[in-house]
Amino acid sequence: MSAASLSAKAEPSRRSLLKAAGLAGAAFMVPLSGCGATSGAHNGITTLRFMQNKPEVVAYFNQVIKDFEALNPDIRVIQDFNEGNFVPGLVRNDPPDVVTRGFAQATADFVKKGIFADLSDMPVAASIDPKMQDLVASWGQYNGSEISALPFSLAAAGVIYNRDIFEAKGVAVPTTWDEFIAACETFKAAGIAPIYGTFKDNWTLGQGLFDYVAGGSLDVAGFFAKLTAKGAAISPDAAESFTNNFAPALPKMLQLASFSQKGAASKNYADGNAAFAKGQAAMYLQGPWALSQLVAANKNVRLGSFPLPVTNNPADTKARVNVDMALSITRNTPNMAAAQRFVNYLLEPSVVNAYNEKNAAYSPLKDAPAVENPQISGLNTSVRDGRYYQGATTYFPPSVPLYNYVQSFVYTQNGEQFLAALDDEWRRVAERTAV
Amino acid sequence: MTTSTLPEPIAGAPAPAGSRTGSRTGINTRSETQSETGINTRSETQSETGIRTGFRSPGSGPAGQTRRSNREGFKINWWLTALMLAASLTVLLPLYFTVAMALKSPDQISGTGLAWPNPMNWENFAAAYVATDFPRAFMSTAFVTVFSVLGALACSSLVAYAIARNWNRKFFRGSFVYLLSAMFIPFPVIILPLIKQTALLGLDNPAGVVFLHVLGGISFNTLLYIAFVRSIPVELEESARMDGATTWQVFRKIIFPLLAPMNATVGIFAFLGSWNDFLLPQMMIADPALQTLPVVQMLFQGEFNTNYSLAFASYLMAMAPTLVVYILAQRWVLSGVMRGAVK
Repeated sequence: MSAASLSAKAEPSRRSLLKAAGLAGAAFMVPLSGCGATSGAHNGITTLRFMQNKPEVVAYFNQVIKDFEALNPDIRVIQDFNEGNFVPGLVRNDPPDVVTRGFAQATADFVKKGIFADLSDMPVAASIDPKMQDLVASWGQYNGSEISALPFSLAAAGVIYNRDIFEAKGVAVPTTWDEFIAACETFKAAGIAPIYGTFKDNWTLGQGLFDYVAGGSLDVAGFFAKLTAKGAAISPDAAESFTNNFAPALPKMLQLASFSQKGAASKNYADGNAAFAKGQAAMYLQGPWALSQLVAANKNVRLGSFPLPVTNNPADTKARVNVDMALSITRNTPNMAAAQRFVNYLLEPSVVNAYNEKNAAYSPLKDAPAVENPQISGLNTSVRDGRYYQGATTYFPPSVPLYNYVQSFVYTQNGEQFLAALDDEWRRVAERTAV
Repeated sequence: MTTSTLPEPIAGAPAPAGSRTGSRTGINTRSETQSETGINTRSETQSETGIRTGFRSPGSGPAGQTRRSNREGFKINWWLTALMLAASLTVLLPLYFTVAMALKSPDQISGTGLAWPNPMNWENFAAAYVATDFPRAFMSTAFVTVFSVLGALACSSLVAYAIARNWNRKFFRGSFVYLLSAMFIPFPVIILPLIKQTALLGLDNPAGVVFLHVLGGISFNTLLYIAFVRSIPVELEESARMDGATTWQVFRKIIFPLLAPMNATVGIFAFLGSWNDFLLPQMMIADPALQTLPVVQMLFQGEFNTNYSLAFASYLMAMAPTLVVYILAQRWVLSGVMRGAVK
């Protein structure tokens, strides 16, 4: 039978394949064992590990690092964007030396545990706008007064609008709620969707509609401070409850939702970016992170931003901000001096201002020049005057499925149930975490 | 297990593999021979059809074959064939999306995504290659994969051989249960202690990932191997011992070659598992320069922005070795499956 001869042929090929694999493996091992880079000082050169939280700006920071190394030949910086390795780094007791993080609940947990060094005696800390520093401090400070992070980039979000559509319909940027509603009605009458809704991605409802209306109509930080102070003993009837504070804002949220295009429930964030860039709606409730996607989808689109007016007093209008990147140094780093030099360099006006101008964000420096980017410059006055808030959604612990609640509120329009659910969730978390 | 099948495994061992090679490379004449031998003809034809529709044009291959079989009086199960064709779409459609997406420029991404990009944007591959530092990440992944596969084959087969041939001893039976019980521990539960431990041992690098891959696979692989080793008659070993072979020689010269089909199965599981592994390298490898491809590819996913074209171009490049290995190794996998069936 020919099977035997065939098998004889098959056999060596299998063995040689394994042999080739083994040889190849041995070949890989040689270069790999040679280039293991660890942080620390060798031959007078200090190696810093820099963990950075935004994968999309890795290339930008590579250039920044190159410039820094040219000025500081005794320091080498390795950039790492694998944020998932931060906690393992702490477990190994070998965390990165310099860290940037988006500043909210999760990062605040690290701060409260004293993971980060106190930066208050760094001279560069004095050049930061104190209002922006307060945003970081608002999440809690280690030992009551330490500065664990210096803001590097502030993202301000409002309503992104299509300048061409606004000009074609003769609509000016609204400064009051009534003007805003009138503008929506104008677009609707002209057959243009006033707002592009992407309800399928529930976070877009949370950060847009919910945060904007809540932030514009009540003092979010004050509300959560009082609510937290009340602890687990919170009931829906209490003066501090969601029911008693958010109720007046809810009709406006629903009104906003009603100005979305037909079929918003089946559109996600990516759909929204593609459609809005092609002029399928006049306004889009998104922050600066969407701008690069919009321009990528249509490089000729002319965009602007304005803070959503939620009352009829223009002085009340505020922008939603978040500290997109904040610089920290881990407390136990053996390379404290080098890490401080690197942080100092990153916060030099030429570096930090250039980064923020390039990435449609606001520099944290007191004397930063006004943003010229026409896509976001409509938010300049709000940011300069400190009329901003951190989104209400960011105050919730991740265990509360807030976005789902917001989404079901928009679909069912049952505000009472929505707020009762929030009160209930908040109380349960407070009971669990009470000391 | 029975003594009557004693000579079968050796003489017949590579036969199915060989004859399948023939059917694949030859002009389909061998499939007739095979069906004459009567080894479950029905499933044979079907699995052939499935593979062909998966990797060649769905029209030509199966059609020719079914016509031939028809002339020889085989009944075609058209319903099942249609079902298989429809099922093959579950592979082909995502693959189409991947390829199409990899060739799109950002402004071509919209709508259903079904449209083929025109013009095709080949620069995505170059950009992804540079952005991920592809050669370095590839080497690291290949290192992890090659040694995980070799380690899995060597360790698991040795353990299985020892346990299967000492089944009458309490210690070995106990150790089998001990190994199996490891399968009940969910990996995420122990990941942080493992990280601590590997860091203390200086294994917070690809070598540590290899170590844990081999270790993590040992319970399942041993389970597979033990069943297979038991089906190899002990008399074979006894005759080798009569000729003066040591235990190691018996394993190396008799048992390990006979394990070939199971080696292929275990090897392919180990390959796919470690080539595609994300969590372990992400958490274990401290030095970003030694990070593996699946983790480096996170580069294309920001919190709010995903660069789909570059991401898919990069996924395609990372997928290529898996496809090559599958195409090279599939006949061994299938022959392994067959072997179990005939026994």
